[in-house]
Amino acid sequence: MLSLGPKQTTAAGRRYVIRTMAFMAGYVAINLAAIFGAFDEIIGAPVAWALALAVSAPVMGQIWATLMLLRESDEFVRSVIAKQFILSAGIAMAIATAWGFGESYAGAYHLPAWIIYPLFWACFGVVAPFVRSSN
Amino acid sequence: MKNRLKLLRVERGWTQEQLGQALGVSRQAVNALETEKHDPSLDLAYRIAVLFARPVEDIFDNPHA
Repeated sequence: MLSLGPKQTTAAGRRYVIRTMAFMAGYVAINLAAIFGAFDEIIGAPVAWALALAVSAPVMGQIWATLMLLRESDEFVRSVIAKQFILSAGIAMAIATAWGFGESYAGAYHLPAWIIYPLFWACFGVVAPFVRSSN
Repeated sequence: MKNRLKLLRVERGWTQEQLGQALGVSRQAVNALETEKHDPSLDLAYRIAVLFARPVEDIFDNPHA
């Protein structure tokens, strides 16, 4: 999800890609299983919280992979990714807040809270090409 | 920060990748230094100075001088 060029060429970048793909494979697998009815019997029951936490775990793992990329990268890459990350998180929070109040006050269509994660990465994809300097 | 890093690198016939390896940073970091998109930390500036056997201020202009 992160990139400073057409491809990740550093060892830290390659480890990040592998870790992200591994976590996202878990995220997709659990969601696909849910979509195809594998957990229909527990939907709505308290035990479904286990399912909610299970599908959230890869997201936490992916954030960990991002933090490891920051730790393992050189000072320039670390600084640029941190800037991109903070800017994207701010934009995603602003959009989510505006939409949330739109739901409260303007009758906007309700969106599930989990959308903040893909929204954040969508914001990252838009922001990253414009943040190429650490200054 | 204005600097003579590219000149010094080219004088030695090094690529950005080779200089990055010598300094322990990525090629992107070398490119960012050369194009003034990254101001080096003191630690990195000293590593560069040692590598080229020159004082830091011979390589990087002191913006406060």
